[in-house]
Amino acid sequence: MSQKAKPKAKPQPAGTARPATQAAAPTNKPQAERTFWRFALDERWEHTLLILSSVVLLLTGLPQKYRSAAWSQQILATPDQVTLVRTIHHIAAIVLTIEVLYHLGKAIFLLARRKLPGDFLPTIQDVRDAWEMIKYLIFLRKDQPAFGKFNFEQKITYWFLFFGIGIMVVTGFVLWFPVQFTQLFPGGIVPAAKLAHSTESIVALIFIIIWHLYHVHIERLNLSIFTGRLSEEEMRSYHALEFERLTGEKANPEGK
Amino acid sequence: MSFNHETSPRSAPRRAAANKKLLLLFCGLCACALLLLGLGNSPAAAAAPRQEASPTLGPLSLDDSYCLSCHGQPGSTMKLEDGSTLDLFVDPNEYSHSIHGEKGYACVQCHRQIGEYPHAPFTAKDRRDAALQLYPACYFCHSGEYEATQDSVHARAFDAGNKEGAVCTDCHTAHAVRPINDPATGKIRPDAHLWIPETCAQCHNAIYQKYRNTVHGEALINGNPDVPTCIDCHGVHNISDPTTNQFRLNSPDICTSCHTDPKRMDKYGISTDVLTTYVSDFHGTTVTLFEKQAPDAQTNKPVCYDCHGVHDILRVDDPQKGLHVRENLLKRCQVCHPDATADFPDSWLSHYIPSPDKYPMVYYVNLFYYFFLIPVVLGGMGVLVVMDFGRSMINRFRKNPGGSSEEASHV
Repeated sequence: MSQKAKPKAKPQPAGTARPATQAAAPTNKPQAERTFWRFALDERWEHTLLILSSVVLLLTGLPQKYRSAAWSQQILATPDQVTLVRTIHHIAAIVLTIEVLYHLGKAIFLLARRKLPGDFLPTIQDVRDAWEMIKYLIFLRKDQPAFGKFNFEQKITYWFLFFGIGIMVVTGFVLWFPVQFTQLFPGGIVPAAKLAHSTESIVALIFIIIWHLYHVHIERLNLSIFTGRLSEEEMRSYHALEFERLTGEKANPEGK
Repeated sequence: MSFNHETSPRSAPRRAAANKKLLLLFCGLCACALLLLGLGNSPAAAAAPRQEASPTLGPLSLDDSYCLSCHGQPGSTMKLEDGSTLDLFVDPNEYSHSIHGEKGYACVQCHRQIGEYPHAPFTAKDRRDAALQLYPACYFCHSGEYEATQDSVHARAFDAGNKEGAVCTDCHTAHAVRPINDPATGKIRPDAHLWIPETCAQCHNAIYQKYRNTVHGEALINGNPDVPTCIDCHGVHNISDPTTNQFRLNSPDICTSCHTDPKRMDKYGISTDVLTTYVSDFHGTTVTLFEKQAPDAQTNKPVCYDCHGVHDILRVDDPQKGLHVRENLLKRCQVCHPDATADFPDSWLSHYIPSPDKYPMVYYVNLFYYFFLIPVVLGGMGVLVVMDFGRSMINRFRKNPGGSSEEASHV
């Protein structure tokens, strides 16, 4: 079963369902040390790079958006400073673009070999899960529904930012090369791209703050995107279906 | 110096009276000199002693008829050092119809140093030098305007060695000064609007010829006082150098001081959104930023006149040359974006506010974000997060009402 349960990345990194620390472990608390691989090394690097490039893009992009504010006018005070800010923005944009291309390229590579895991794709089950979750939140259910490897909240995070970053990259290049783009497309795409680029940046920022940071920091501290793995405890309570599928055990033996 | 007086109307009784006045003049001049020493070495003070003049004739005064007995007759001239001739004739009729003549100012209120005949020695290299020696008299009454001109592009050209740099009398004339403002309203008299470009044209004729065929110049000549003349954009007296970076960055303010005023624009059906639409777009953003933060910064970002013309400003709907003709706008774009093609000018919203008709793509992107994605999607997520947080707090409280120990999760 372990082959099936790989993270959506490469098959190699550690036996997925296996406890990360094995055999030699002292016998007093073997169960607590069982961990479950969730993100491959390249995926974790992608995330780190995404954070870094996004922070730089925001730091250099927001002053351009809020150019009438005093704080941003300090940053953009002279033509040289404007050029510097824009150059840094462009460099970070290239880093992000390379990452996007890697991400898409890998997906296409895996898809072509029919190895692209499907567990991050939205399904009708996610709609049902969301509905059950809402019922839970308004006290029509006693406990949260059981989720698979990625719950609907995590899938929303991925897809919201997938399209958000897509919009940012495409519109960003339109703004960077308006002359070239208007040779192929109507001129109106440039002001439309400007509006979309400017607004989407704020949408993505708000989204990360209220949705992503809440779910990975406030609701519970989930560092699996950095460590690569989840503990058994976390698997049992937040990804019960995945836990059961991987181990064949009941996630909540007492049925609590 | 050589005086060429054909007439010398001197008589004994007059001379006696004049001697007395000369003494008074001398005392007055001494007082002036002392005052000047006290004022220190400021160039303006040195150039023109600060004195108040009034229409009432003081002890310094000579009656105008005394002066005009010589200068009121044509033919009186004076040889200057370069051999040219200075005409000493002052048309009494012209002077009496000037604003100063009408108000009863006497010759000697400006020509203070000249005294009675025989005059104190007066030498000048040439006619220009003569004018330059005499024009500081304007300072006696018009010190504010005089000082303002010292900051002007004309004064700077003058200081740089161009003796033709305009001084008061070049524009206002010496003896035929016309009133420009209507004292009743404090505004420029309607007929004075026309004089202004004609005055500037004495030196700047090429520009005037351009201006008179533009949307503003043509209307002015047809009697419309709403349009700007030279001074509305360039200022009066302290006319700044229009070739500086600072002028360029400030220039949108010049145009928009009228073009954002609905009182003036509504009459002609012209949009007053021109500034906000400019500022919110790429170029205007940068220009207004630098205008505030780095007024001396050099920028190639277009300002109003880069597209609409400097002095050759035309109607945008001019069928041949107007910017509504796309090729004309494209040509302007290509000045900075040489590879721009036919669709490129649409990158700029042309002062339009996007609507379903104008720039629909921008309009619908805006709708998508502000009426769907932000309120519905992000708002919905926000609600879910708040509910989730609420439920988890309630759970924690129920599981552990005491709130202290934390054994609940471990079995």
